[in-house]
Amino acid sequence: MAVGTHAAGGGIPVRAAQMKYSTGIARVIHSPLYRYTLGAVAEWRYGRILLLAGVPVVWMLMMHIGPIYEMLRISLLSSYPPQPGVEARFTLDNYALFFSEKLYWMPLLRSFIYASIATAVTLVVVYPVAYYVAKVVSAGSRSRALLLLLAPFWAGEIIRIFSVIMLLANRGAVNVLLREIGLTERPIQMLYTSFSISFGLVYMVCLYMLLPLYSAIEKIPKSLLDASADLGAGPFTRFRRIILPLSRDGIVSGCSLVFLTCMGVFAAPILLGGPTTSMFSETISSFFHGASSRWPAGAAFAMIMLAASLVTVGLFMRVVGGTKQRTF
Amino acid sequence: MRAMFHDWPGLALKSFYWLFVLYLFLPLSLMVAVSFKDASFISFPLGNLTIDWYAKVIQDKQFLDACLYTIMIAAATTAIATVIGVWIAMLIGSLRGATQYVAFAIACLPAVVPGMISAISLRIFITTIDLPTGTVAIILGHVVHAVPFVVVMVLTRLRSMPGNLVDAARDLGADSTVTFFRVTLPYLGPAIFGGMIFCLLLSSDDFVRTFFLGGYRPTLPMLIFARVQSGMSPEINVMATLVLVVTAVVGLYAEYLTRRSRIR
Repeated sequence: MAVGTHAAGGGIPVRAAQMKYSTGIARVIHSPLYRYTLGAVAEWRYGRILLLAGVPVVWMLMMHIGPIYEMLRISLLSSYPPQPGVEARFTLDNYALFFSEKLYWMPLLRSFIYASIATAVTLVVVYPVAYYVAKVVSAGSRSRALLLLLAPFWAGEIIRIFSVIMLLANRGAVNVLLREIGLTERPIQMLYTSFSISFGLVYMVCLYMLLPLYSAIEKIPKSLLDASADLGAGPFTRFRRIILPLSRDGIVSGCSLVFLTCMGVFAAPILLGGPTTSMFSETISSFFHGASSRWPAGAAFAMIMLAASLVTVGLFMRVVGGTKQRTF
Repeated sequence: MRAMFHDWPGLALKSFYWLFVLYLFLPLSLMVAVSFKDASFISFPLGNLTIDWYAKVIQDKQFLDACLYTIMIAAATTAIATVIGVWIAMLIGSLRGATQYVAFAIACLPAVVPGMISAISLRIFITTIDLPTGTVAIILGHVVHAVPFVVVMVLTRLRSMPGNLVDAARDLGADSTVTFFRVTLPYLGPAIFGGMIFCLLLSSDDFVRTFFLGGYRPTLPMLIFARVQSGMSPEINVMATLVLVVTAVVGLYAEYLTRRSRIR
């Protein structure tokens, strides 16, 4: 950190010249052990490339692509894990199984609907908040306003889901409040319904919407807003004609993130949902547990879910994004 | 001009912001409140308050064991993920054009794949490479999940680094290793630190990967999940509150440090 600031002022050359190799790392570098092994490799052009690229390339191929590839491969096998005496052969049955029964494809549809609802609600709710923090709050207190929104998300997935139960349970805060006011006589069943799942999903993922939206809106030059206001545009026109189009990148990446997270959610439907609200994650996981473990079918279902969610996000980016996507 | 923003739209936005903050904090504060409840079930209003549950949880061996286990896994994950993440970021930073784009896409893949699918694919993968479920598998899964975030953070910082720093060091005779450790790495310091904190929080929060990759020894999220499933009691609230306090302190401290380094 300190060197970095020096460097900006042109301090590095001096430092490097003075660098009489007195620190630990330099002693290592000047030891014969280093000079004739790694040092020699670093001198050589291809050696440098090897040092730079070796570990990352192996890691990314093995750990980033490997698991997905394995899942795809297993999903096309008739049996896995390998058992003695059983020959695993190539088959498409695992994919056919998905379409064969309502029990299997219904949860995917449900996951899809929940994820879409959660995405839409999150966008509508979080947008004004992101706008407020990015444009209305003064620059000095902006990071504090943002911090207040980030803090609850350090708590973690399970704890946040659990805290939703406090609010929605039959003897939870909302029901007790309603009874005290006299609106209801007996508690409304909110937990273990589709309402609690949607509520929990929104509560879990709104951060993923907030950050992209915030950084997109923050980049909109204030002068554009001022100019349009001078030219007589009211708040709604300014929003529709300037802010909304210019924050499109943020909307696209926020929605994609939220949608993908919601599709892959596992704990929330188990803790907040009931038997009629089971989502596709639970269907997949049922293939990996207990006596009836059928891994190839589970892998095929996971592939279907991955394809469905990526295709949805891709289409969404194409339709709404319009402009060329910048990933970072 | 400011007056325009301080008429009704501004006010409406402000109240909406505070309502949203309330929405974010209300469930968590209710959860903390119930941890003091003097009854063995969860309901409102609270009635008498007690700290007996805290005393009970502090002596709960399973809870303490889960804490230790979680911290151990988070520390290992952070150490490994930081090294690999910085390494990948250095590689991507040195690439140009389409290769850079492809490498970045592959590096970010685990962060984009939905959590459930990532967990399942890792479960299959460790069976293929004959790794048993348990500590090593959990750490591996967490590292795969954490690496993309480190890469993105480090890469953002790397882009703001003036190229002549490295050139100057090389001109003065430092070889590429020295340049990396004495010039590039210190410059990346704040980003690496932020990435490490992120790794810690990511690993200690993770549920779905741990669920599929773990053995019988539970981490904290697993323990809380199991307790919630087997029946509610303020004990869970106490555990969750303790975790909440610790993560909040870590998060705030990290925020304080990064802000200080930004000002300097």
